[in-house]
Amino acid sequence: MATVVLPPFWSLVELHGDELLAHARRLAGDGDAEDILQEAFLRALRAYPRLRHADHLRAWLYRVTTTTAYDAHRSRRRERPTAKPPAVTVEPEHYDGAFEALIEPLPESAQVALRLRFIEDLDYDGVAAALGCSSVAARQRVSTAVRSLRKQVAA
Amino acid sequence: MTPLPATFRESLASAAVREGLADGVFTRLSSPIGRLLVVSGPDGICRISFEEEPEDVTLAEVALRLGPRIVASDAELASTRDALSGYLEGDAGDLRGIAVDLRLVSSPFRRTVLETLRREVGPGHTTAYGVLAASAGHPRAARAVGTAMARNPVPIVVPCHRVLPGSGGLGNYGGGPARKRALLELEGSLASPLSP
Repeated sequence: MATVVLPPFWSLVELHGDELLAHARRLAGDGDAEDILQEAFLRALRAYPRLRHADHLRAWLYRVTTTTAYDAHRSRRRERPTAKPPAVTVEPEHYDGAFEALIEPLPESAQVALRLRFIEDLDYDGVAAALGCSSVAARQRVSTAVRSLRKQVAA
Repeated sequence: MTPLPATFRESLASAAVREGLADGVFTRLSSPIGRLLVVSGPDGICRISFEEEPEDVTLAEVALRLGPRIVASDAELASTRDALSGYLEGDAGDLRGIAVDLRLVSSPFRRTVLETLRREVGPGHTTAYGVLAASAGHPRAARAVGTAMARNPVPIVVPCHRVLPGSGGLGNYGGGPARKRALLELEGSLASPLSP
Protein backbone atom coordinates (compact mmCIF):
# COMPACT_ATOMS: atom_id res chain seq x y z
CA MET A 1 0.00 0.00 0.00
CA ALA A 2 1.39 3.40 -0.93
CA THR A 3 2.12 5.74 1.93
CA VAL A 4 -0.55 8.39 2.29
CA VAL A 5 0.86 11.90 2.36
CA LEU A 6 -1.47 14.02 4.43
CA PRO A 7 -1.07 17.78 4.51
CA PRO A 8 -0.13 19.35 7.87
CA PHE A 9 -3.41 19.42 9.77
CA TRP A 10 -3.25 23.15 10.48
CA SER A 11 -3.33 23.95 6.77
CA LEU A 12 -6.84 22.46 6.78
CA VAL A 13 -7.80 24.60 9.78
CA GLU A 14 -6.51 27.71 8.01
CA LEU A 15 -8.08 26.84 4.65
CA HIS A 16 -11.49 25.64 5.79
CA GLY A 17 -11.90 26.87 9.37
CA ASP A 18 -13.98 29.93 8.45
CA GLU A 19 -16.54 28.03 6.41
CA LEU A 20 -16.65 25.19 8.93
CA LEU A 21 -17.45 27.69 11.67
CA ALA A 22 -20.30 29.01 9.52
CA HIS A 23 -21.45 25.42 9.03
CA ALA A 24 -21.29 24.77 12.79
CA ARG A 25 -23.33 27.95 13.34
CA ARG A 26 -25.99 26.73 10.96
CA LEU A 27 -26.09 23.40 12.77
CA ALA A 28 -25.85 24.48 16.37
CA GLY A 29 -26.45 28.22 16.59
CA ASP A 30 -24.02 31.00 17.47
CA GLY A 31 -23.69 30.07 21.14
CA ASP A 32 -22.42 26.52 20.66
CA ALA A 33 -20.75 26.73 17.27
CA GLU A 34 -17.18 27.22 18.51
CA ASP A 35 -17.44 24.38 21.04
CA ILE A 36 -18.86 22.09 18.37
CA LEU A 37 -16.14 23.02 15.90
CA GLN A 38 -13.35 22.56 18.44
CA GLU A 39 -14.67 19.10 19.31
CA ALA A 40 -15.01 18.32 15.60
CA PHE A 41 -11.39 19.33 14.94
CA LEU A 42 -10.21 17.22 17.88
CA ARG A 43 -12.15 14.23 16.56
CA ALA A 44 -10.63 14.86 13.15
CA LEU A 45 -7.14 15.00 14.72
CA ARG A 46 -7.73 11.65 16.42
CA ALA A 47 -8.65 10.05 13.12
CA TYR A 48 -6.25 11.98 10.88
CA PRO A 49 -3.18 9.71 10.93
CA ARG A 50 -5.39 6.71 10.13
CA LEU A 51 -6.98 8.21 7.01
CA ARG A 52 -6.37 5.97 4.04
CA HIS A 53 -6.24 8.72 1.47
CA ALA A 54 -5.91 12.48 1.33
CA ASP A 55 -8.84 13.13 -1.03
CA HIS A 56 -11.89 15.18 -0.14
CA LEU A 57 -10.48 16.41 3.17
CA ARG A 58 -12.73 19.46 3.15
CA ALA A 59 -15.83 17.31 2.71
CA TRP A 60 -14.56 14.97 5.40
CA LEU A 61 -14.24 17.90 7.84
CA TYR A 62 -17.79 18.99 6.97
CA ARG A 63 -18.94 15.47 7.75
CA VAL A 64 -17.09 15.32 11.06
CA THR A 65 -18.54 18.72 12.03
CA THR A 66 -22.05 17.63 11.11
CA THR A 67 -21.75 14.41 13.11
CA THR A 68 -20.28 16.24 16.10
CA ALA A 69 -23.16 18.72 16.09
CA TYR A 70 -25.75 15.96 15.98
CA ASP A 71 -24.01 13.97 18.71
CA ALA A 72 -23.89 17.07 20.92
CA HIS A 73 -27.51 17.76 20.19
CA ARG A 74 -28.53 14.19 21.02
CA SER A 75 -26.55 14.06 24.25
CA ARG A 76 -27.94 17.41 25.36
CA ARG A 77 -31.43 16.14 24.74
CA ARG A 78 -30.73 13.03 26.81
CA GLU A 79 -29.24 15.04 29.65
CA ARG A 80 -31.87 17.73 29.79
CA PRO A 81 -35.13 16.53 28.33
CA THR A 82 -36.95 19.72 29.19
CA ALA A 83 -34.11 22.12 28.67
CA LYS A 84 -34.19 25.04 26.29
CA PRO A 85 -35.02 24.15 22.72
CA PRO A 86 -31.96 23.55 20.56
CA ALA A 87 -30.90 26.06 17.95
CA VAL A 88 -33.55 26.78 15.40
CA THR A 89 -31.51 25.53 12.51
CA VAL A 90 -31.38 22.07 14.02
CA GLU A 91 -34.95 22.02 15.14
CA PRO A 92 -37.55 24.61 14.21
CA GLU A 93 -39.74 25.86 17.03
CA HIS A 94 -42.63 23.66 16.09
CA TYR A 95 -40.38 20.62 16.03
CA ASP A 96 -41.44 18.13 18.68
CA GLY A 97 -39.11 15.18 18.25
CA ALA A 98 -41.57 13.19 16.16
CA PHE A 99 -39.25 13.34 13.18
CA GLU A 100 -36.35 11.82 15.16
CA ALA A 101 -38.66 9.08 16.41
CA LEU A 102 -39.79 8.44 12.87
CA ILE A 103 -36.33 8.11 11.36
CA GLU A 104 -34.77 6.36 14.36
CA PRO A 105 -35.17 2.81 12.90
CA LEU A 106 -33.39 3.80 9.66
CA PRO A 107 -29.66 3.31 9.13
CA GLU A 108 -27.54 6.20 10.44
CA SER A 109 -26.54 7.25 6.90
CA ALA A 110 -30.19 7.60 5.93
CA GLN A 111 -30.94 9.52 9.13
CA VAL A 112 -28.13 11.96 8.45
CA ALA A 113 -29.29 12.54 4.87
CA LEU A 114 -32.85 13.18 6.01
CA ARG A 115 -31.83 15.55 8.82
CA LEU A 116 -29.61 17.57 6.50
CA ARG A 117 -32.37 17.91 3.93
CA PHE A 118 -35.45 18.33 6.07
CA ILE A 119 -34.35 19.52 9.51
CA GLU A 120 -31.43 21.61 8.47
CA ASP A 121 -33.24 22.50 5.28
CA LEU A 122 -30.14 22.37 3.11
CA ASP A 123 -30.50 22.21 -0.65
CA TYR A 124 -28.84 19.31 -2.44
CA ASP A 125 -25.60 21.22 -2.90
CA GLY A 126 -25.56 21.85 0.84
CA VAL A 127 -26.30 18.21 1.61
CA ALA A 128 -23.55 17.24 -0.83
CA ALA A 129 -21.04 19.52 0.90
CA ALA A 130 -21.97 18.14 4.32
CA LEU A 131 -21.78 14.53 3.17
CA GLY A 132 -18.72 14.97 1.01
CA CYS A 133 -20.36 13.65 -2.16
CA SER A 134 -21.65 15.04 -5.43
CA SER A 135 -24.93 16.86 -5.66
CA VAL A 136 -26.37 13.98 -7.71
CA ALA A 137 -25.26 11.46 -5.10
CA ALA A 138 -26.75 13.64 -2.35
CA ARG A 139 -30.09 13.69 -4.19
CA GLN A 140 -29.93 9.90 -4.50
CA ARG A 141 -29.08 9.43 -0.83
CA VAL A 142 -31.96 11.61 0.26
CA SER A 143 -34.42 9.95 -2.10
CA THR A 144 -33.28 6.47 -1.06
CA ALA A 145 -33.71 7.52 2.56
CA VAL A 146 -37.19 8.88 1.83
CA ARG A 147 -38.12 5.56 0.18
CA SER A 148 -36.87 3.65 3.22
CA LEU A 149 -38.84 5.97 5.43
CA ARG A 150 -42.01 5.39 3.39
CA LYS A 151 -41.56 1.63 3.71
CA GLN A 152 -40.88 2.02 7.40
CA VAL A 153 -44.04 4.06 7.90
CA ALA A 154 -46.14 1.70 5.78
CA ALA A 155 -44.89 -1.41 7.56
CA MET B 1 -18.28 34.70 6.71
CA THR B 2 -16.77 35.36 10.13
CA PRO B 3 -13.13 34.39 10.24
CA LEU B 4 -12.05 31.85 12.80
CA PRO B 5 -11.18 33.92 15.91
CA ALA B 6 -7.56 33.83 17.12
CA THR B 7 -8.81 32.76 20.54
CA PHE B 8 -10.48 29.76 18.92
CA ARG B 9 -7.25 28.75 17.19
CA GLU B 10 -5.25 29.00 20.41
CA SER B 11 -7.86 27.08 22.35
CA LEU B 12 -7.98 24.33 19.72
CA ALA B 13 -4.20 24.02 19.56
CA SER B 14 -3.86 23.90 23.36
CA ALA B 15 -6.55 21.23 23.60
CA ALA B 16 -4.79 19.22 20.89
CA VAL B 17 -1.46 19.43 22.74
CA ARG B 18 -3.10 18.61 26.09
CA GLU B 19 -4.76 15.52 24.65
CA GLY B 20 -1.57 14.32 22.98
CA LEU B 21 -3.02 14.87 19.51
CA ALA B 22 -0.29 17.15 18.15
CA ASP B 23 2.76 15.69 16.40
CA GLY B 24 4.24 19.17 16.15
CA VAL B 25 3.52 22.78 17.06
CA PHE B 26 4.56 25.84 15.08
CA THR B 27 4.57 29.56 15.63
CA ARG B 28 5.37 32.59 13.49
CA LEU B 29 7.65 35.18 14.98
CA SER B 30 8.43 38.69 13.75
CA SER B 31 12.02 39.65 14.37
CA PRO B 32 14.66 42.16 13.26
CA ILE B 33 15.90 39.59 10.73
CA GLY B 34 12.43 38.99 9.30
CA ARG B 35 9.61 36.66 10.04
CA LEU B 36 10.62 33.26 11.33
CA LEU B 37 8.68 30.03 11.31
CA VAL B 38 9.54 27.96 14.38
CA VAL B 39 8.42 24.33 14.62
CA SER B 40 8.66 22.20 17.74
CA GLY B 41 8.54 18.41 17.84
CA PRO B 42 8.08 16.22 20.90
CA ASP B 43 11.63 16.81 22.15
CA GLY B 44 12.26 20.41 21.20
CA ILE B 45 12.62 22.81 18.30
CA CYS B 46 13.19 20.83 15.11
CA ARG B 47 12.91 23.48 12.41
CA ILE B 48 13.34 27.20 11.99
CA SER B 49 12.86 28.78 8.57
CA PHE B 50 13.35 32.28 7.24
CA GLU B 51 10.58 34.17 5.49
CA GLU B 52 11.86 33.47 1.97
CA GLU B 53 11.25 29.77 2.45
CA PRO B 54 7.68 28.83 1.51
CA GLU B 55 5.91 28.00 4.72
CA ASP B 56 3.70 25.28 3.24
CA VAL B 57 6.76 23.47 1.90
CA THR B 58 8.54 23.68 5.26
CA LEU B 59 5.51 22.43 7.17
CA ALA B 60 4.91 19.62 4.69
CA GLU B 61 8.52 18.47 5.11
CA VAL B 62 8.21 18.58 8.88
CA ALA B 63 4.89 16.69 8.74
CA LEU B 64 6.58 13.88 6.80
CA ARG B 65 9.00 13.34 9.67
CA LEU B 66 6.93 14.19 12.75
CA GLY B 67 3.49 13.14 11.57
CA PRO B 68 0.68 15.15 9.97
CA ARG B 69 -0.95 16.47 13.12
CA ILE B 70 0.77 19.85 13.06
CA VAL B 71 -0.94 22.72 14.91
CA ALA B 72 -0.14 26.39 15.39
CA SER B 73 0.15 27.97 18.82
CA ASP B 74 1.92 31.03 20.15
CA ALA B 75 1.03 30.11 23.73
CA GLU B 76 2.44 26.58 23.62
CA LEU B 77 5.77 27.95 22.38
CA ALA B 78 5.75 31.08 24.53
CA SER B 79 9.06 30.46 26.29
CA THR B 80 10.84 29.74 23.01
CA ARG B 81 9.31 32.85 21.45
CA ASP B 82 10.44 34.97 24.38
CA ALA B 83 13.98 33.60 24.31
CA LEU B 84 14.32 34.01 20.55
CA SER B 85 12.78 37.49 20.48
CA GLY B 86 14.98 38.65 23.34
CA TYR B 87 18.07 37.26 21.70
CA LEU B 88 17.29 38.74 18.28
CA GLU B 89 16.62 42.11 19.84
CA GLY B 90 20.02 42.00 21.47
CA ASP B 91 19.51 40.89 25.08
CA ALA B 92 22.77 38.90 24.82
CA GLY B 93 21.06 35.75 26.02
CA ASP B 94 22.22 32.22 25.37
CA LEU B 95 19.80 30.10 23.37
CA ARG B 96 21.23 26.89 24.76
CA GLY B 97 18.31 26.79 27.19
CA ILE B 98 16.03 25.98 24.26
CA ALA B 99 15.64 22.25 23.70
CA VAL B 100 16.50 21.20 20.17
CA ASP B 101 15.30 18.10 18.35
CA LEU B 102 17.55 17.15 15.43
CA ARG B 103 15.39 14.35 14.06
CA LEU B 104 15.12 16.12 10.71
CA VAL B 105 18.83 15.55 10.22
CA SER B 106 19.07 12.10 8.70
CA SER B 107 22.86 11.82 8.55
CA PRO B 108 24.48 10.80 11.86
CA PHE B 109 27.64 12.69 10.88
CA ARG B 110 25.76 15.93 10.33
CA ARG B 111 23.86 15.47 13.57
CA THR B 112 27.11 15.01 15.49
CA VAL B 113 28.57 18.13 13.90
CA LEU B 114 25.50 20.21 14.76
CA GLU B 115 25.46 18.91 18.34
CA THR B 116 29.16 19.67 18.73
CA LEU B 117 28.70 23.18 17.35
CA ARG B 118 25.83 23.94 19.69
CA ARG B 119 27.65 22.57 22.72
CA GLU B 120 31.04 24.13 22.10
CA VAL B 121 30.60 27.43 20.31
CA GLY B 122 28.68 29.88 22.47
CA PRO B 123 27.52 33.40 21.68
CA GLY B 124 30.38 35.83 21.07
CA HIS B 125 32.58 33.04 19.72
CA THR B 126 33.18 31.79 16.22
CA THR B 127 34.89 28.78 14.73
CA ALA B 128 36.08 27.59 11.33
CA TYR B 129 34.77 24.70 9.25
CA GLY B 130 38.02 22.75 9.66
CA VAL B 131 38.18 23.38 13.41
CA LEU B 132 34.61 22.22 13.88
CA ALA B 133 35.34 19.13 11.78
CA ALA B 134 38.22 18.29 14.12
CA SER B 135 36.09 18.93 17.24
CA ALA B 136 33.49 16.53 15.89
CA GLY B 137 36.18 13.89 15.45
CA HIS B 138 36.60 14.16 11.66
CA PRO B 139 39.52 16.54 11.08
CA ARG B 140 39.56 16.05 7.29
CA ALA B 141 35.84 16.67 6.82
CA ALA B 142 35.76 20.48 6.58
CA ARG B 143 33.77 20.36 3.34
CA ALA B 144 31.22 17.94 4.80
CA VAL B 145 30.90 20.26 7.79
CA GLY B 146 30.03 22.99 5.29
CA THR B 147 27.23 20.81 3.98
CA ALA B 148 26.03 20.12 7.52
CA MET B 149 25.85 23.87 8.13
CA ALA B 150 24.07 24.52 4.83
CA ARG B 151 21.45 21.93 5.72
CA ASN B 152 21.05 22.90 9.37
CA PRO B 153 17.28 22.69 9.99
CA VAL B 154 17.45 24.82 13.13
CA PRO B 155 19.48 27.92 12.26
CA ILE B 156 20.06 30.60 14.93
CA VAL B 157 19.45 28.11 17.78
CA VAL B 158 22.02 25.70 16.38
CA PRO B 159 24.45 28.52 15.61
CA CYS B 160 25.78 27.73 12.14
CA HIS B 161 26.25 31.49 11.67
CA ARG B 162 29.26 31.17 14.01
CA VAL B 163 31.13 28.96 11.56
CA LEU B 164 33.37 30.95 9.23
CA PRO B 165 35.80 30.03 6.46
CA GLY B 166 39.38 29.53 7.69
CA SER B 167 40.52 31.70 4.80
CA GLY B 168 38.68 34.75 6.12
CA GLY B 169 35.41 36.45 5.26
CA LEU B 170 31.95 35.49 6.40
CA GLY B 171 31.31 32.61 4.03
CA ASN B 172 27.90 31.31 3.12
CA TYR B 173 24.71 31.20 5.12
CA GLY B 174 21.41 29.52 4.44
CA GLY B 175 19.57 32.68 5.42
CA GLY B 176 21.87 34.84 3.27
CA PRO B 177 25.10 36.68 4.17
CA ALA B 178 23.26 39.76 5.48
CA ARG B 179 21.58 37.69 8.21
CA LYS B 180 24.85 35.98 9.09
CA ARG B 181 26.45 39.39 9.53
CA ALA B 182 23.48 40.67 11.54
CA LEU B 183 23.62 37.69 13.92
CA LEU B 184 27.38 38.00 14.38
CA GLU B 185 27.07 41.74 15.01
CA LEU B 186 24.36 41.03 17.56
CA GLU B 187 26.78 38.76 19.37
CA GLY B 188 29.63 41.25 19.13
CA SER B 189 31.72 38.78 17.13
CA LEU B 190 32.60 40.88 14.13
CA ALA B 191 34.92 43.33 15.81
CA SER B 192 37.03 40.68 17.49
CA PRO B 193 39.53 38.46 15.67
CA LEU B 194 38.22 35.05 14.79
CA SER B 195 38.94 32.48 17.45
CA PRO B 196 40.68 29.36 16.16
